[in-house]
Amino acid sequence: MQLAVNIAVLAAIYALVSCGYVLIYRTSRVLNLAHGELMMLGAYGLFTTASLFAGYPLLAIATSALLALIVGVLVYVLLMRHMAGEAVLAAVLTTIALGILLRGTIILFWTAQAQHPIRALGLTNQSIAIGDAKISAVGLTLIVVTACVYAGLYAFLRYTAWGIRMRAAGQNPLLAAQRGIGLHRIYALAWGLATFTAGLAGMLVACDSALDQTMATIGLKAFPAALVGGLDSLLGALLGSLIVSASEVLIIYYVDPLLSEVVPFIVLLAMLVVRPWGLLGTREELDRV
Amino acid sequence: MSQPRSSGYLRTRYAQDWMLLETRTQRVGFALFAACALALPFFAGAFHLDIANQVLLASIGAVALMLLTGYAGQISLGHAGLLAAGAFTTGILFKEFAAPFWVTLPAAAAVGAALGVIFGLPSLRLRGLYLAVSTLALHFIVIYLGSEYESKRGFSTGVVIDPPRLGSWTLTDARAWYFVLLAAATATVLFSLNLMRSRTGRAWRAIHGRETVAGALGISVQRAKLSAFVVSSTLTAVAGCLFAYYRGFVSAEAFSLFLTIQYVAMVIIGGLGSILGALLGAVFVVLFPYGIEAAMKATALADRLSSLIFAVNYAAFGLVMILFLVFEPKGLVGIWQRVQAWFLLWPFKQKPVGK
Amino acid sequence: MKRTLLLGLLTTWVSCANAQDAYVIGLSGALTGPNAGVYAPVVEGIKLYVDHLNGKGGVNGRQIRLLIQDNSGEPSKAAADAKRFLSQDNVIMVVNTSLSSTYAPMVSESKRAGVPLLFAGAVCPKEVYPPADELQFCTTAFTPGYDTRMAFTVIKEMAKEPVRIGFAAMAIPISRAEMDYAASVAKQMNMTPVETQISPPPAPDYTPFATKLKDANPNWIYSWSPWISEVRTFEALRRIGWQGPYVTIAHIPAEEELVRLKDPNFIVFGANALFQDNQPGHRDIREAAKNAKLSYSVEQMAEGWIAGMAIEQALKNSGWPPAPEKLVKSMNDLKVDLKGLRDGGIEWTKDNHFRAKQSYRVYRWDPAKQAIVRVKDWTEIGAK
Repeated sequence: MQLAVNIAVLAAIYALVSCGYVLIYRTSRVLNLAHGELMMLGAYGLFTTASLFAGYPLLAIATSALLALIVGVLVYVLLMRHMAGEAVLAAVLTTIALGILLRGTIILFWTAQAQHPIRALGLTNQSIAIGDAKISAVGLTLIVVTACVYAGLYAFLRYTAWGIRMRAAGQNPLLAAQRGIGLHRIYALAWGLATFTAGLAGMLVACDSALDQTMATIGLKAFPAALVGGLDSLLGALLGSLIVSASEVLIIYYVDPLLSEVVPFIVLLAMLVVRPWGLLGTREELDRV
Repeated sequence: MSQPRSSGYLRTRYAQDWMLLETRTQRVGFALFAACALALPFFAGAFHLDIANQVLLASIGAVALMLLTGYAGQISLGHAGLLAAGAFTTGILFKEFAAPFWVTLPAAAAVGAALGVIFGLPSLRLRGLYLAVSTLALHFIVIYLGSEYESKRGFSTGVVIDPPRLGSWTLTDARAWYFVLLAAATATVLFSLNLMRSRTGRAWRAIHGRETVAGALGISVQRAKLSAFVVSSTLTAVAGCLFAYYRGFVSAEAFSLFLTIQYVAMVIIGGLGSILGALLGAVFVVLFPYGIEAAMKATALADRLSSLIFAVNYAAFGLVMILFLVFEPKGLVGIWQRVQAWFLLWPFKQKPVGK
Repeated sequence: MKRTLLLGLLTTWVSCANAQDAYVIGLSGALTGPNAGVYAPVVEGIKLYVDHLNGKGGVNGRQIRLLIQDNSGEPSKAAADAKRFLSQDNVIMVVNTSLSSTYAPMVSESKRAGVPLLFAGAVCPKEVYPPADELQFCTTAFTPGYDTRMAFTVIKEMAKEPVRIGFAAMAIPISRAEMDYAASVAKQMNMTPVETQISPPPAPDYTPFATKLKDANPNWIYSWSPWISEVRTFEALRRIGWQGPYVTIAHIPAEEELVRLKDPNFIVFGANALFQDNQPGHRDIREAAKNAKLSYSVEQMAEGWIAGMAIEQALKNSGWPPAPEKLVKSMNDLKVDLKGLRDGGIEWTKDNHFRAKQSYRVYRWDPAKQAIVRVKDWTEIGAK
């Protein structure tokens, strides 16, 4: 039972992180390797707003979530917009450079000291019993938030005008532009949403354990999950996260904890051999350098 | 090589098509450059010599990656893993069998070639980012195996390797190292330049352009892809072996993902599809942190920020890389060509056609 | 290509060091990168001490110039730093405050130049124990072997029933090796080692590791690894309902963390006295910290401060003008009074570059008093 809970929590983390990869890739065909750093930035944002609005945790959370959204839009407007038309690898390298810049800046403002945003919010992380298993309050929130985010994104992409435009831009940018869809606005929105979800993931993971420089690496760990599911499918990201987290948790428990670092990549390799475009991804002519 | 000159130079014999240096200016320029390179160790201090050696080591790896990514168009994020494979082959052979360098070097090359086949297999099915990620997966597996070896054999702070020995002479002096590495880098560059003019090189460029057309022209796409991976990995593993001997140790932590990023940065900042670009990129990426530090010192920012200086250095590296990618997408080679064109066309100001 | 290289070389040339009026020391530490949180406070502590000392007039009437380089915990950068210190800056001592993976390159560089290498805030390598390597010295509080023997002393004293012990390590060679050693000690002491959990350096969630550990049903758990995996494994264990006592080495942030966790069964032992003990040495640190702009809290300064005290004493005895050989000689016969920061001081002899005796104090949180309490006063641990 505890194992099932562990899988659910880890899958929720992976899913919440990987939906950002999917959103950006599916609309603009850019792989964002600064995702982990943006996650970290969101969490540090929460830490700051929590100390700023001490006593009003909800206000702090709302402000930092909004900030994450704005940061995402800014990243596109100030940086990624200029990479339109460049080689894929150059765009990916730009996001890596952005990651390096963010990491340096974060040490500059917040030092490398481990922080605990949940304490700054004035909340505690109780455990809740489910049958004979236990789950932390933040862990449960994580699962709920992930479910809400996915449901929200589904509704957004399916039923709203902006969501439909976003799908159109992802499917065929040229046709979409000719139908009068402003691609820059759509891309900016995708970056904003992706950073928003990354920020949420960062905040929740930081509240569950702690916040320090290692957070950036966690972003990278969710990456195989997104790929296993197919980089351009949200449902795929959810499925991929479940598969990767289940195999990771089970291998830690039944085989060898040392393998936990390699497992996601072995699952990924197996998937790439069988179905390179991922579980639910679209089979497509992929770009090259 | 076979760039069109603006005027005055016409090839009159077939042999001229085969020359690497065609005009007198090129030959004089190269002679000056070679003289500088040979004289450098007699003027530079030990610290600067170490930087020069790092540049030479990096340039071997960068040229290898350029062959794969810049010419054959296959993205690889497993470069650090391949360097690690070469270094660990050296370390393990040295520790377990006390093998001398003339055994470890070919062994590293062989392991590199074998891994090239393995790293290259996904490329037969995958393209673009998916290929990049599958090579990334292999990177993690190589690093995992390396660190397992370290832990199991109790080398918790890394495998220490003695310097290469030939008879009673050992290669320890930085100046001797400089010449060894210079020779290795020159050999790599010459090999790559010639390879690019051969049938294989043309095949690589063709599959980079468009695979379907290359196939229709009678090029075996699969063979071309695999050969690109094998050649690149072999060179990289040899660079890894040299790295292990130069630093005198091997450890899994020395081959992080950041190292791969640095190599990718070298080929992109240098300019894709050019050996010169790989060299310029290697110089730039290796010297860059030192440059920032010197700039900080010169502007006296260092004292004001004191304990934060390293965070600033780190952030500045990211910032300059971004600026470069946004404002100079053709890389250093692009700048180099513009400068050349400016001199060629002077006193007229016009943009060269087709560049 | 070389043209650019030469230009670059020229720019760095300008910044050559020419300080013959000061003792020059080079420090290479992990100030950025994932592990910065563990090492940056130590570097700040050393810097705090050196600045404080220079403010008082320095050593033998000369200033100390502490050159700091960041290696991000990467071996290649550490090697380049060491080379630079030794060939360009002509330092008389090299200090390492970084991961164990940076040791090998720095050791080989320091050997080549005959310059002493001090490990400060970085775990002591076995080479500093008798018979010590000629050039390697260590002031760091935590150290393999001794720490584990202390942990078992604590457990043996406090345990009332047969001990079933679990171990929590991080997936780095040095931590794994120590856990293997701990398992062998446990067997000698008739305890049952039930499970060893090894978590990767950063894990998004430590619960899967903790679950396995809990299900092996230990009544004690011991962890010796970097703080992040010690404390996060502990928190994950508590969250899934394991309530037993957890013994671990007190790393740099221990004092603040005990207050944060408020768990009476989280037991830490350390060779450094915590600031609540308020020894003369602690008052000195607080005094110096008042005038300095610190990025880290004053409670994290002790480790760096101790290294600073050792450096000062070694330089004082070596006299002026500075020379590595004289410094090695003075370090081979050194006694530093640490003013209560540790039990006894640092004592180095030709044979022993660690210390004459290693003692630990044990602390935990007392919910009744709402304060950290000392469970056990200085306890000496033998060399074996």
